[in-house]
Amino acid sequence: MARTAEGLAGLVEVLARALVDQPDRVRVELARGDRHPRVELTVDPDDIGKVIGKDGRTAQSMRVLLNAAATKQGFNRAFLDVVD
Amino acid sequence: MSSNVDESNEHEELPTANAGEARSGDDDGGDAVASEPEEFVEDGRADRALDLIVDVLTRMGMDCTVDLMENEPEDPESDIRIEISGTDASRLIGKKGDTLAALQFICNRVINRPTLSRRHVLIDADGYRQRREQALATMAQRLGQQAVDEGKIITFEPMSAQDRRIVHLALAKFTGVLTKSEGKGTARRVQIIPVREAT
Repeated sequence: MARTAEGLAGLVEVLARALVDQPDRVRVELARGDRHPRVELTVDPDDIGKVIGKDGRTAQSMRVLLNAAATKQGFNRAFLDVVD
Repeated sequence: MSSNVDESNEHEELPTANAGEARSGDDDGGDAVASEPEEFVEDGRADRALDLIVDVLTRMGMDCTVDLMENEPEDPESDIRIEISGTDASRLIGKKGDTLAALQFICNRVINRPTLSRRHVLIDADGYRQRREQALATMAQRLGQQAVDEGKIITFEPMSAQDRRIVHLALAKFTGVLTKSEGKGTARRVQIIPVREAT
């Protein structure tokens, strides 16, 4: 019943779109070939602070949710990169 | 793979949501009720928080239901309480509640944009937070007694602002001690300080 990693990218997209001022500029990409799923998030340069947060707390919270989702879907873990 | 998050939301939102009725006053402008500044008008953010959480949990593939709860009488009316239950509730709590805390943190980020008045979003799963708060309050009072008995300052581990608040409240009316927080950011910790009666 292993789900695909695409769902993980979709999760990051929902979170990022809710957080930023310009949701239409949110892009997520799933990096392939790694041992674990890796989601690459790109947002408008003005919105980077909103997805990272003070001391990286927002990005860290997204990683916690991403890992919970990854575990549920049969992966050991998953990574999130905020691309700048 | 059934994720009944969506449907359950529609069923269960109705009886508990205090959001719907109050929202008619949405576009009246903020200054309409100057005589009753205390009156709280639901601005639709409770529903937005609920929608966001349902959306996120669905994407996470979690099997659970999400409810908007009535606030406790002692809580501010502006608080938004959301309860998660079902098969994956424990998975959503995470280690030491970290997954629940992450969900709550992001939800608060989204709901509390600058310029808007602050509305706390409080998310619980299977009563986890409630149980923990009670345990923490009980421990705080036990340590408060210990501080009095031994005449020593007792310092907690670093805790979140919410947890520190619980300790402060639990000892607010406890005679013989005062509490304060020290340190910065994530290292901030509560101290219980015994005070000598001025006799």
